[in-house]
Amino acid sequence: MKRHSNTAWFLLLPALAIMSFVAIVPLVTVLNFSFFDIFTLEKIFWVGTTWYEEIITSDRFHASFLRSLLFSALVLGIQIPLGIWLALLLTRAGRWSIVLLMAVAAPLVVPWNMIPIMWLNLIDTKTGIAGQLMAAAGIGFDYKFTAVHTWILLLAMDTWHWLGLVVILAYAGFSAIPAPYYQAAAIDGASRMAIFRHIELPKIGGALSIVVLLRFVDSFMIYTEAFAINAGGPSGATTFLSIDLGEEIKGFSYGSAAARSIVYCLIVTAVVWAFVKITAHQRQAGDGKAA
Amino acid sequence: MMHLQRKIKAGPPLRAMVFVLLVIFTALPFAQTVLLSFLSTMPRDGMVEGQWSLINYRNIFLSADLRGSILNSVLYVLLNVALCLIAGLPAAYAFSRYRFIGDRHLLFVMLAFRVMPPVVLSLPIFILFSQVNLVNSPVGIALVHCLFNLPISIWILESFISAIPREFDESAFLDGHSLPGFFVKLLVPAIAPGIGVTAFFCFIFSWVEVVFARILTVTAGKPVTMAINALFGFQTDIGLVMAMTVISVLPGLMMIYFVRNHFARGFMVRA
Repeated sequence: MKRHSNTAWFLLLPALAIMSFVAIVPLVTVLNFSFFDIFTLEKIFWVGTTWYEEIITSDRFHASFLRSLLFSALVLGIQIPLGIWLALLLTRAGRWSIVLLMAVAAPLVVPWNMIPIMWLNLIDTKTGIAGQLMAAAGIGFDYKFTAVHTWILLLAMDTWHWLGLVVILAYAGFSAIPAPYYQAAAIDGASRMAIFRHIELPKIGGALSIVVLLRFVDSFMIYTEAFAINAGGPSGATTFLSIDLGEEIKGFSYGSAAARSIVYCLIVTAVVWAFVKITAHQRQAGDGKAA
Repeated sequence: MMHLQRKIKAGPPLRAMVFVLLVIFTALPFAQTVLLSFLSTMPRDGMVEGQWSLINYRNIFLSADLRGSILNSVLYVLLNVALCLIAGLPAAYAFSRYRFIGDRHLLFVMLAFRVMPPVVLSLPIFILFSQVNLVNSPVGIALVHCLFNLPISIWILESFISAIPREFDESAFLDGHSLPGFFVKLLVPAIAPGIGVTAFFCFIFSWVEVVFARILTVTAGKPVTMAINALFGFQTDIGLVMAMTVISVLPGLMMIYFVRNHFARGFMVRA
């Protein structure tokens, strides 16, 4: 059992000092900015909650919110099941599993602004491997002007980038399951589905929940990769939440951008809060069952 | 029926085919990048466009900007790893061994900051950092990357420390070790794999981050990522861009190789 001691706070001081400087102070600054109209940092006017009212009632915000939501839903719908399935196959791959895990991890270490560069070159119809193949097969892939194609490209790129994270964490979860669980299931004559549903899925729950959270928030707030592909186009079809905000910052409307930042901040915090509550609830339910 | 299904689901030939497809999908963008990096993609004297050549790598070596950018990146990433380990270790120890007022809330806040999109904080961080002269300096980027790396370090280290029984600490204190002495001489060696995994994650996340690295390097101290962005212009030498991309990926690939045996064990990040 952990000891109760408030002097433990002293151990947190270095971490808290850094976090205050890089997180809390900037956040308070943004909050402060969001109530002002800012021309220059010397010329600012109090506008109260005007920015917030404008954002929350604007169609532009609603549209980009729904786009981001759809993108996240597709990302999770593709990457989580695919990643779990691949991880399951990898647990039976023997010594090849490490090599394959290293392979799927490789995209994770590519700097984020290089990823769109690599993909745009890959689908280039003159010099790209995939682009030439598609052109030869007579598939016209036009990510610049056809919205569906831009979406397909973004989803393929994002899956390439992040699938490794899902696979690795799911694989780590699977390999932590003790063999007796499977032996017991075999004695009971459990089907493959039943083993997955009642043994494997609950056991990787912890690792999986964090990966779902990370994938959700990162895809919901995707910026660097999506912007470089088509700058939110064609005609705004891939203008996600962060791209909208980035445009505002570039347009020097700092007050409005600050209010938007706070709105996003609240969305993210709400998601994390819901996540913490749900996982805590599940853990309790799990403990109850075990006892 | 069940038997048949199992065969279809996980039969070795099908599994092998899935793996081959997976490797192709993963490798294709890399293959494209490596391929272009060895081609001369600009009109040059005595060289046909599209000719095999090492010229791109030679050009990187000859350019002081590009060489410098590699050094800048390495510098702030290493600094960030050091900061995260030094500040993260005592914090992780506190979370692992004690209950204190606000501990759960603090974990929640850490999680929220880990997933906070950088764009949200980019503007005030730029203003704040320019007031204290941290723009264009590797120290600035190393600090700001703590925003997401410090929470991660604390989680990973906490799970490794929690795997060590309390008696380990108590006997050390009975032997007369001070807390800092215990950290350096006993705890760090005992959780060495955890330190490695933490360093890996901090290294990777700091290395691939772009938004903060961009806004905090206005005139100098550009990292690899920004040096590559600067190569784009009216006439872009895409071969040079790709050669630079290859180089920017190498440190990460080496890190993956170093931690490969932890994929199964050490990557369990507790929620």
